[in-house]
Amino acid sequence: MNVHATPQMTAAEQALIDTYGQLFSDLPGDTAVVVRRDEAVEALKSGLPTRRVEAWHYTDLRRLLSTVPAFDPLARAKEQPALLSGATVLPVLSGTVTSMPQIEGVAIRRIFDRLSDGSLAAQLFDGDAADAIGAINTAFVGDGYALDIAEGAEIAKPIELQNLHEGGQTHVRFATHAGRNSRATIVERQTGTGEALVSAISHITVEDGAELTWIILQEQPDDATFLGQTNIEIGADAKFTLFFMNAGGKLVRQEVTVNVAGEGSEFILRGVNLLAGGTHCDVTMVLDHAAANTVSTEVIRNVVTDQAKGVFQGQIRVAREAQKTDAKMACNTLLLTDEGEFSAKPELEIFADDVACGHGATVTEIDQGHLFYLMARGIDEKTARGLLVRAFLAEVIEDLENEAMVEALEEKLTAWFATHG
Amino acid sequence: MPAVQETIEQVRNIDVDQYKYGFETLIETDKAPKGLNEDIIRLISAKKDEPEWMLDWRLEAFRRWQTMSEPSWARVSYPEIDFQDIHYYAAPKSTSGPTSLEEVDPELLRTYEKLGIPLKEQEILAGVRKQGEPSDLDAIEGNGGRRVAVDAVFDSVSVVTTFKKELAAAGVIFCSISEAIREHPDLVRKYLGTVVPTSDNYYATLNTAVFTDGSFVYVPKGVRCPMELSTYFRINEKNTGQFERTLIIAEEGAYVSYLEGCTAPQRDENQLHAAVVELIALDDAEIKYSTVQNWYPGDKDGKGGIYNFVTKRGDCRGKNSKISWTQVETGSAITWKYPSCILRGDNSQGEFYSIAVSNGHQQIDSGTKMLHLGKNTVSRIISKGISAGRSNNTYRGQVSVHRKATNARNFTNCDSLLIGNDCGAHTVPYIEAKNATAKLEHEATTSKISEDQLFYVMQRGIPEEEAIALIVNGFVKEVIQELPMEFAVEAQKLIGISLEGSVG
Repeated sequence: MNVHATPQMTAAEQALIDTYGQLFSDLPGDTAVVVRRDEAVEALKSGLPTRRVEAWHYTDLRRLLSTVPAFDPLARAKEQPALLSGATVLPVLSGTVTSMPQIEGVAIRRIFDRLSDGSLAAQLFDGDAADAIGAINTAFVGDGYALDIAEGAEIAKPIELQNLHEGGQTHVRFATHAGRNSRATIVERQTGTGEALVSAISHITVEDGAELTWIILQEQPDDATFLGQTNIEIGADAKFTLFFMNAGGKLVRQEVTVNVAGEGSEFILRGVNLLAGGTHCDVTMVLDHAAANTVSTEVIRNVVTDQAKGVFQGQIRVAREAQKTDAKMACNTLLLTDEGEFSAKPELEIFADDVACGHGATVTEIDQGHLFYLMARGIDEKTARGLLVRAFLAEVIEDLENEAMVEALEEKLTAWFATHG
Repeated sequence: MPAVQETIEQVRNIDVDQYKYGFETLIETDKAPKGLNEDIIRLISAKKDEPEWMLDWRLEAFRRWQTMSEPSWARVSYPEIDFQDIHYYAAPKSTSGPTSLEEVDPELLRTYEKLGIPLKEQEILAGVRKQGEPSDLDAIEGNGGRRVAVDAVFDSVSVVTTFKKELAAAGVIFCSISEAIREHPDLVRKYLGTVVPTSDNYYATLNTAVFTDGSFVYVPKGVRCPMELSTYFRINEKNTGQFERTLIIAEEGAYVSYLEGCTAPQRDENQLHAAVVELIALDDAEIKYSTVQNWYPGDKDGKGGIYNFVTKRGDCRGKNSKISWTQVETGSAITWKYPSCILRGDNSQGEFYSIAVSNGHQQIDSGTKMLHLGKNTVSRIISKGISAGRSNNTYRGQVSVHRKATNARNFTNCDSLLIGNDCGAHTVPYIEAKNATAKLEHEATTSKISEDQLFYVMQRGIPEEEAIALIVNGFVKEVIQELPMEFAVEAQKLIGISLEGSVG
């Protein structure tokens, strides 16, 4: 939170604290959980972060989160068709788990239960002053899914976690433990209708030799605030692929923290931000290479139109012992309007001397040469521009290689262009 | 890829325990008592024989400074500075401000000779360079070498400025800032504090209150300054801080190249150096500012050394103007410095070329800011950071394109190299675009050479590896070429460093 004393609470800060006072007794949790919830609310009392907090350099949460809608106890969102056909859907509807499908090789529990028995307490807010998302979520989290993938299990069908709302507030968690040498694909959907404050936090542990693909599809309505956080710990010789697409929301902050903790492991991040209207979307990643011989690549592609504001902060930290790290990060942006904005802060913090680390960041308009090439072939300018923007994004999606996945996400791209192109 | 042996040796040659300029000059000094208060500021102002407006400006800054707090965002750490434990004024007794060469204390002349800075015009003209390092330049340029006018600043005062007459004939004013305040008050008043305002930052505000000397350059309309100008800063006294102020104005169509060098004796306590440099380039003017920063870096255990907290900023105020910063940084215990360009005039250009080498326990947090305000503005940033020993070396830079700055272009390249496993290299760029026609490119590895360039070279039959080498060499050469010949000898040690094995 803001380390400086805040003279007066904003309406949003006050609303969060008051709401906690009202809901407190209905929220699940043993003593350990309650202690964490109280600490989180104390942190909120000292104010939401402003730009003075370096991690929030381009997103003044205190100013941007101007209002907080009330919880709507009557809302009950409806399950959506899965993104990938054949997927097992695990829906959280307006903040509550309503069904518990069985998946062979995966032990599934409700977050509600893991809060009640206190086994989730260690994943809750731990006092980090910049962790506003952790604090807000910890104060109010009520449900979600905890998945435990058995050692050696190969889960053939994708698992789809849905966090759906009909306005108001929802605060959920997904906790996933992928056992040694297991394989799985998980899709996380974040969407709904109506003015909302949504927070979602995932803690993901990838044990030695496991391979996990995780796709986050965020399609919040234009009046929703989405605060997402994905925390990943990767063991030895393991591989984790994270893909995200942000295609909605009024205020979006997507935090990704990764600890590549085991030797010989790999982390892949691909992200697409489709920014239109008045959206403010901030993707902030902190990636630690803590062990030797690890590889990571991150490619983020952004399209900014209308008055949208985009932010990418990416920090790669290489510890002294993480020799032979190979880390590459790129953030490319097409800024299509003068009213739009994009800010990037790609950071490297390197303490090992035998590594190959790099980052590249570009902000440009559409390449005039490419445009000319297409138009010279009789394609009109609007279509040519559309093709180029689409190709720019599709390149990143295609890195996923899985045909069904690529197709499904490209359809989402098409749908977005149909309304914003 | 780890650093190659040659590089390791090159860096070793300039390690902290190899510091060559750590000697002290024993000379009688006139010092203000320790401490900082309004009386000390009045004393400094009186010593400089300043007009009332100058004193008022200083006092206003001092009052503001008392309400400010030290910045903490940089990646540097140091014990709290006791600002009351510093002498804010120290001057050799024999010198009462700038004077002619004949009147300068011979001890001071010897000091500058030992540092390799020739102050005697006749010797320079005759090409005699007994004390300086043998210069390769003499061979290139014949017997005469190149002439450089020097302003020598010793602790708080400028002791001598050379070639003043010849420069005056061309219309160029080159003198100490104290002299300029007395002799050219209108010019100083018009421009001083217009690039770095009083309220800018903690150290700049402190500097405004207590600055004691520095250089002033004014190049009139259409004049190309006939020689390189140079200031050599030397901190000598114990427990003093050096707070110099430099102001350079290039009128319409003018050109000037300015060099700056600095050293200090080896001492166990830390000394503060908080300078402010302001550059103003009007229509079609160009200012080239080069620094070889070699303040005492502290010993191998991190004891002593200069805290170099400097605010340098250039304002491309006119159309088609250009400001170029080149820096070679090897000294100081802590460096906190971001030479910047405000690209206000349409078609103006800003450049920043930097080689920063940190050793021992040195901490460097340095970079640049390029603020694109005018149309068709172009900026270029090339930064090479090399960390060794237990040092930390951070590049921190900002490129910002404002809403109305159409067709702004930036290219940034920062490479870092670590030597050994106890140091750190960090890159913190801030890239901000608010205009759709902006074209910003930031890259941080040699492997990220533009594919177009690579393709261009390769399609002419050159194998990939050679093509890359060619492009990289061309790239580094470009930086080296920015260094003025006068600093070649000092800088050569650094230029020789191969950047093979660099990381982003």
